[in-house]
Amino acid sequence: MNILICGVGGQGTILASKILAESAVIDGSDVARTGETIGMSQRGGSVVSHVRTEKTSSPYIPKGQADLIIAFEKCEAARCLPFLKPSGKAVVSMSEIKPVAVSLGVMAYDSKAMEDYIKSAAESIFLDTDTLAAPFMDGKCTNTLLLGAAFGMGFINISENAIKKAMEKLIKPRFLDVNIKAFEAGIKAVSG
Amino acid sequence: MKMNLLGNGAIAMGAIAAGVKFAAGYPGTPSTEILETLKSSEYSKNIHIEWSANEKAAVEAGAGAAYSGMRTLVTMKQVGLNVASDPVMCLAYIGIKGGMVIAVADDPGPISSQTEQDTRSFGAYAHLTVLDPSSPEEAYKMTKYAFELSEKIGRPVILRPTTKVCHASATVDVSDEIHDYTPEGFVKDPKWVIFPPLSYKRHIENFKMYNSIASEKCKYNNVETVPDTDKGIVTGGVTTAIVTDVLESLGVKVNRLTIGRPYPFPVSETEIFAETAKDILVLEELEPFIEENLQRLIKTPLKGKYSEHVPAAGELKYENIESIICGFLGLQTPETPSAKLNVTLPTRAPVLCAGCPHRASFYAVKLASKGKKAVYCGDIGCYTLGNAKPLETTDTCLCMGGGITVAQGIKTSNPDTDVFAFTGDSTFFASGMTGVANAVYNKHNITICILDNRTTAMTGGQPHPGTGVTITGEETVHIDIAKVLTALDVGFVKECNPFDLENAVKTVTEAALYNGVSAIVFKAPCIAVSKKPCTYEVSDCIGCKRCINELGCPAISLSSGKAVIDPVMCYGCGICETVCKPGKIHKIGGVRS
Ligand code: SF4
Ligand code: SF4
Repeated sequence: MNILICGVGGQGTILASKILAESAVIDGSDVARTGETIGMSQRGGSVVSHVRTEKTSSPYIPKGQADLIIAFEKCEAARCLPFLKPSGKAVVSMSEIKPVAVSLGVMAYDSKAMEDYIKSAAESIFLDTDTLAAPFMDGKCTNTLLLGAAFGMGFINISENAIKKAMEKLIKPRFLDVNIKAFEAGIKAVSG
Repeated sequence: MKMNLLGNGAIAMGAIAAGVKFAAGYPGTPSTEILETLKSSEYSKNIHIEWSANEKAAVEAGAGAAYSGMRTLVTMKQVGLNVASDPVMCLAYIGIKGGMVIAVADDPGPISSQTEQDTRSFGAYAHLTVLDPSSPEEAYKMTKYAFELSEKIGRPVILRPTTKVCHASATVDVSDEIHDYTPEGFVKDPKWVIFPPLSYKRHIENFKMYNSIASEKCKYNNVETVPDTDKGIVTGGVTTAIVTDVLESLGVKVNRLTIGRPYPFPVSETEIFAETAKDILVLEELEPFIEENLQRLIKTPLKGKYSEHVPAAGELKYENIESIICGFLGLQTPETPSAKLNVTLPTRAPVLCAGCPHRASFYAVKLASKGKKAVYCGDIGCYTLGNAKPLETTDTCLCMGGGITVAQGIKTSNPDTDVFAFTGDSTFFASGMTGVANAVYNKHNITICILDNRTTAMTGGQPHPGTGVTITGEETVHIDIAKVLTALDVGFVKECNPFDLENAVKTVTEAALYNGVSAIVFKAPCIAVSKKPCTYEVSDCIGCKRCINELGCPAISLSSGKAVIDPVMCYGCGICETVCKPGKIHKIGGVRS
């Protein structure tokens, strides 16, 4: 699978990508690769993580080849859509983080147009993560919640057991429980 | 054991397997996680690990350990190598005893750097072997090999990963075996003292040695010949991996030469390749290093950067490479159906975090110099972001520590202007102190603002000489910046809390009026090393937008013409409360000390 995780620097996208790579290997994949954005962009810029769970030489997903986009912010979801396959899926947080230039009136943030565009280009599901993730450490578990939603939709072909094992390995013990709960809340949010 | 490792993590694990006993570096994207992985590993107790004051200190301390037979790792980013170039150049002559690997991470793009310089060229210039991994797996193996090679030839070896290897992860097979040895200790010998006659001798030796290595085969250079075509592609680094994916998806095979050891440039592999390949494309990021070296060895004109088949600068992404290769092979570039962007999206440039103390410091200086001619000389760190609207308090930024000294030239040539230099605490220790001595000694009338946030923030929060802890968390002396400035005979030194805006503005005004070198240490921790005290909210906003237009805090945005504060993002610094003249911003919960 080719999965693209995108958001705004500081939102915790890297943990989500690590969990996916780790769980793919637990499930028997030979090589999982990720390509991260680490550096200046982490200060509130656009960040993208590429995750590839099948054998390739490079970690970077070419345009039009992602099976799934997990977006932590609406505008960033729209920005990454050219990476998605025509039949691709998208799990998108409704959260709107307006760049400072938008608040200053230098640029526009057209939320409706972004949403329409995402709906036209992907089999997408939108989640109100601001509300859904609030009970879990003040929204700090948005990443595991979104993973849960993507898993709950059947968009990730990795087992639940492997994902949880990967979380155990990668998350500090004192934060593990709340993250598992957030993951489960993500599954629940999309079921039924 | 199989481990998912970032390229930087793989380098650390490779160094552990090679028996590294001394590791030093200065944080710099994309190299930082090498030492951080080393520190968090279970083997760290057997290794001396340090964040050095700067890259030059790291290389020199590393040299001493390597003279004594310890396997030594030194890490930095490419511009850090400029700082360390003095000891590195000399070390190429003097050599080492214990294997020494200098890991220098290059940054095509550049993504988080001042330059797109190429460490392969530096290696050739200094006469040091350069190894260039194409993936985390290869980085792991190459690191082990680099230590062995260094010890064998008695010279340091440069390992040069690029961002897309450092910050990519892969499943790496990590061995449990660790090279075991006892360092001999320092043995006195005139060979450790660099003198002109010795340098002359070593220059000849080095030239001969690297010339002969060039003809030896290296397992990291690879030739694949395909007899039924004369087309050949030459690559190095991560480009090698991407080209493999591109050729596979196009379903074509061509002759390939892969360069994993760019210096000394491989002669025998080139000869084998050139027997079959007659029409040759060179794909590489940064300088045309492979291209120039290859052209020295073969007569056929190459397709590459000089012929403008390959872009001169920036990253080579999958799409670029695919279209260049298709052009080269006379194929139609495949149309991958994908969504075409049909909305205008706002760009999202990095910004100072919500609650960042630098915002308050910049704002105080801006208020104090309102209506006056002022120039703001910035430096390298999160605070370079002070250039953006609405703060616009960074007029120059050159290199680490350069702000303080650039300010001196600007003041001399613009005597009627107040000139402020901004430097972070880590940058101050890395390369700011000499600039202060220069200012005092040469009587430059400038104001130095030290933004002391108690960490090396931009690279993710590493400790430094002013923090009182080492990389391993051990307590150490905390060097007091104000005392250093006073000891350097700066005539006006004051500390202040930037969030106490009124007092901060008063202090800056005094400092600017002072005739001579003045300095203010703005002391407030980075949000990454402090607890969020409370949040703020807006009620009955009158829509004057003052908070937004003055501060540009990313937690404040406009909704139907009124300011709103995102409660998750807000870090409770309270500066917007001071700025909101109508008094519509209030604290909720917590106490701000
Ligand atoms: S990481 Fe720290 S220093 Fe950097 S912008 Fe954020 S608060 Fe400021
Ligand atoms: S108190 Fe105001 S300026 Fe400070 S972080 Fe919160 S919203 Fe931003």
